[in-house]
Amino acid sequence: MRLPFFRRDVQREIDEELRFHFDARIEELVAQGMTPDDARAQALSEFGDVNQVRSRLREIDDRVARRRQRADLLDVLRQDFTHAARSLRRTPGVSITIILTLALGLGVNAAMFSLLDVLFLRPPALVAKPAELRRVWRYLNFRGGEGQFWSGFDYTSYAAVRQALEGSAVTALYRVPTKMSVGAGDNPGSAKISSATASYFRVLGIKPAFGRFYSEDEDRVEGGAPVVVISDGYWRREMGGDRAVLDRKIVLSGVPYTIIGVAPARFSGVDLDAADIWLPLSTLPGRAGDRNTPWYRNPAVNGFQIFFRLLPDARAPEVEQRVTAALRHVGEGGRQDTAAVVKLGSIILARGPGNISGEMRVAERLGGVAIIVLVIACANVVNLLLARAVRRRREIAVRLALGISRSRLLRLLITESVLLAGIAAVAALGAAAWGGTLLRTFLLPQVSWAETPLHWRVLSFALIAAIVAGVLAGLFPAVQSRATDLTNALKAGSRESGSHRSRLRSMLVICQAALSVTLLVGAALFVRSLSNIHGLGVGFSVNDLAFISVTPRGGEPTKIQAAAIADRLEQLEPRLATLPGVERVSFVSMRPKSGIQFAGPYYPEADTVVRRKPAPIFTAVSTNFFAASGIKLIHGHTFPESRGQLTVIVNQAMADSVWPNQDPIGRCIRFEKPDAPCVTIIGISETAILSHVREQPSPQMYLPLNNMPLSVWPSREIVVRVNQTRLNATLGNVRALLSAEFPNAIIQTNTMAKAMEPEYRPWTLGATLFSLFGALAALVAAIGIYSSVSYAVNQRTHEFGVRAALGADSRSIVTQVLGEGTRTVAIGVAAGIVLAIATGRLIASLLYGVSAWNPFALALAGTAMIVIAGLACIAPAWRAARSDPVAALRAE
Amino acid sequence: MTRELDLLQGTLDVLVLRALSWGPMHGYAVARFIRQGSTGTFKVLDGALYTSLHRMEERGWVESEWGISETKKRAKFYRLTAGGRRALRAETDSWNDYVAAVGRVMTAAPEPAVETA
Repeated sequence: MRLPFFRRDVQREIDEELRFHFDARIEELVAQGMTPDDARAQALSEFGDVNQVRSRLREIDDRVARRRQRADLLDVLRQDFTHAARSLRRTPGVSITIILTLALGLGVNAAMFSLLDVLFLRPPALVAKPAELRRVWRYLNFRGGEGQFWSGFDYTSYAAVRQALEGSAVTALYRVPTKMSVGAGDNPGSAKISSATASYFRVLGIKPAFGRFYSEDEDRVEGGAPVVVISDGYWRREMGGDRAVLDRKIVLSGVPYTIIGVAPARFSGVDLDAADIWLPLSTLPGRAGDRNTPWYRNPAVNGFQIFFRLLPDARAPEVEQRVTAALRHVGEGGRQDTAAVVKLGSIILARGPGNISGEMRVAERLGGVAIIVLVIACANVVNLLLARAVRRRREIAVRLALGISRSRLLRLLITESVLLAGIAAVAALGAAAWGGTLLRTFLLPQVSWAETPLHWRVLSFALIAAIVAGVLAGLFPAVQSRATDLTNALKAGSRESGSHRSRLRSMLVICQAALSVTLLVGAALFVRSLSNIHGLGVGFSVNDLAFISVTPRGGEPTKIQAAAIADRLEQLEPRLATLPGVERVSFVSMRPKSGIQFAGPYYPEADTVVRRKPAPIFTAVSTNFFAASGIKLIHGHTFPESRGQLTVIVNQAMADSVWPNQDPIGRCIRFEKPDAPCVTIIGISETAILSHVREQPSPQMYLPLNNMPLSVWPSREIVVRVNQTRLNATLGNVRALLSAEFPNAIIQTNTMAKAMEPEYRPWTLGATLFSLFGALAALVAAIGIYSSVSYAVNQRTHEFGVRAALGADSRSIVTQVLGEGTRTVAIGVAAGIVLAIATGRLIASLLYGVSAWNPFALALAGTAMIVIAGLACIAPAWRAARSDPVAALRAE
Repeated sequence: MTRELDLLQGTLDVLVLRALSWGPMHGYAVARFIRQGSTGTFKVLDGALYTSLHRMEERGWVESEWGISETKKRAKFYRLTAGGRRALRAETDSWNDYVAAVGRVMTAAPEPAVETA
């Protein structure tokens, strides 16, 4: 091989070459009879400008040297890779096991990364300079519970913020995309609609693909223009990518709009959930809120997200102060909050400062879990490579004896593992594309994703992870083989001589077992939490409850329309009740968990009002609501069928908070005015949850739907208690009956089980994914244990043979191998339990009703690991027992 | 760039390639070969000769290797590569064409100028 060129060599060689030239010329001239001085002068004059030539030669030779170095490097790399590939092909079983193990570890990580990347790292696509954007958050004490930062605002607050930032930032407001019906006729489709101010696109720096975005003029609070901008995805999916789409009409929730522009490809808003259609804030159809107050002055319409672009010279704390001041002095109609605290956050919602959802917190932990799986996989690879390196001791020793440098040997071994990791990375990306999609739909099913999980960031993550894993996994065996003692290795053949190598392998098995146990403990804890949370009473029946709503097509019903529907429904009650599968029927103003209704002021008659008067939350229900919904009446009775005296039922939380240690039955609550007629309390019900499984008990009142003491305007839904086993068939029957009765209405059915699903999801996810990853980890560890034990058995075939020859029966050999294998694993299990205890606090906040140090979970995980290890040892133990004594003795 | 100009600049290269076509030699031997061959008709600066050698090595026409000279000293020997041999043939042909062309010009009589009415 050519010696590498270095710069100083270049100069030295040139000088040496020229010196030889002058020496030879002078010598020749002297031989012809010149004096040495004359000869030197003549040689110099024949040569020309020596210094100029020297520097010219230097230039040329530097170029040559550089080119040669590059070529050498490429050549060496190519050689290394060909060599590595050839040597991996020689042991296909080991290579494939390594590749699959690594692919599993890398795939899990790439899939997890693809998810965490969109959740926490990647700013929304196409947005100009996303780092300058700020979301506004406000600290709120919500319903007396613990306070937290919220990013939802009412319009008046927005107006105040906009005014406060006038001149130093352009603010924008939008509503997170919500599903809405699109199109007219019998079969309307649906799309995710986001209403946004005209400034929205400007602040984000988005230009339309074609057409235009709406102007400030079209977004006036009263009288905005019915125009929409559609996303590129929606345009392609639903409009076939037709460029003539501009000026076309589109009907959203029964209201016609005109399409004026198409957003650029890949832009789908600033949330995880992709928006299909944007429309001016002022024209959003089907707005929630009170009839009497317009949405822009109603503090209850408060789902608006505010963001703005921070100009380069603006100081964030100063802007934060200005926004805080603005929100403390919100004008008429706004939510007065003299203690408002404002924080500016990133445009990426999950970065906070608000609480992130349980799902995302589980996702964060799973990121760590994925890394553990990769570490276990790497340990496996190291183990397999070590075993392989031992089998190749002879080959390596011969190479060393033949003079291969140790550094080159190291490079060769690392090249092999990097090559393995590279192949694994390609396989992993395939797995990640599939697993990433699966994870997404599993973790956040309500989100419609704008992009596929395979992003260049995921690709580079997988590549870097593969290289790091490859180098690390290759380093161990490589460093080990550097210590190879030539003579011993040549003599010992493929049998292992030193014991420190097997100690390293035991260490790896211990590590794997420990980490797997930790994950299994996590799985056990989550499974336990899930069952605890399911066991938690929510107050109403979950699995056999369904709700049906009937709304006329074409926007919100008028009061007269609604009343007509309500009357008709009441008449239908007996027919509904006799449908097969229906057990109970009743009516309710708003189904549990779908929202909160506030009454106006109210005045409870009480001796003392111990705490703050509870919020006037109420639900209007029909007589058999309690029987149908499963909310139990603790005292008293339900509303009478007939309209007589006004009555009210309060829940236990309300009774406890207004009438502690007293019986509220027979007392009065006066609505709206202190001197209003007495509404008598006739019953106390169990406290049902309002919105979350784990929440402060909420005081709540139930009012008779047919005899409302309030002038509010309740919409109503049908509550049906059905036979759980025939849920879908029964709902089909109900729908059929109602469609026949109300041909012009939209009939929606909701089941309580589905509504409760998001409540349980963080625990469901934790339980399933921890179990899945734990199982994968245990599987990989089992492969590790198997390969390590079967390798050890192979090494000791001789010993077992001799023992067999000396009369040891096969059972004692099996017991010995099993014992040795499980003993190593037992150390790992102990370490894993310590590790699980040490890291328990990381998941403690996600658990429910079980401590992170639950002894049962620890014991279960440990036992499981030992059993798995035992199973992994059986086959090698069996092989050891069948060692042939004759062969062993002959080999001696 | 035109062929003729190349040839003039490449004259020295041809001479060096020609010298090396006899076998590997060090720079000084190449210089001696040219000096003796030209018998003083033209002079080549030795510095230019070394520049030519190194440039041709960069171009891949010659290879160098350190060896021992006839005077038992370390010297850098140059050897023609396959590419160098090809170049020599091509350059020799062009050189012969050039010489022949110059020769024709030198021996030709001028055509009489034709008067036009």
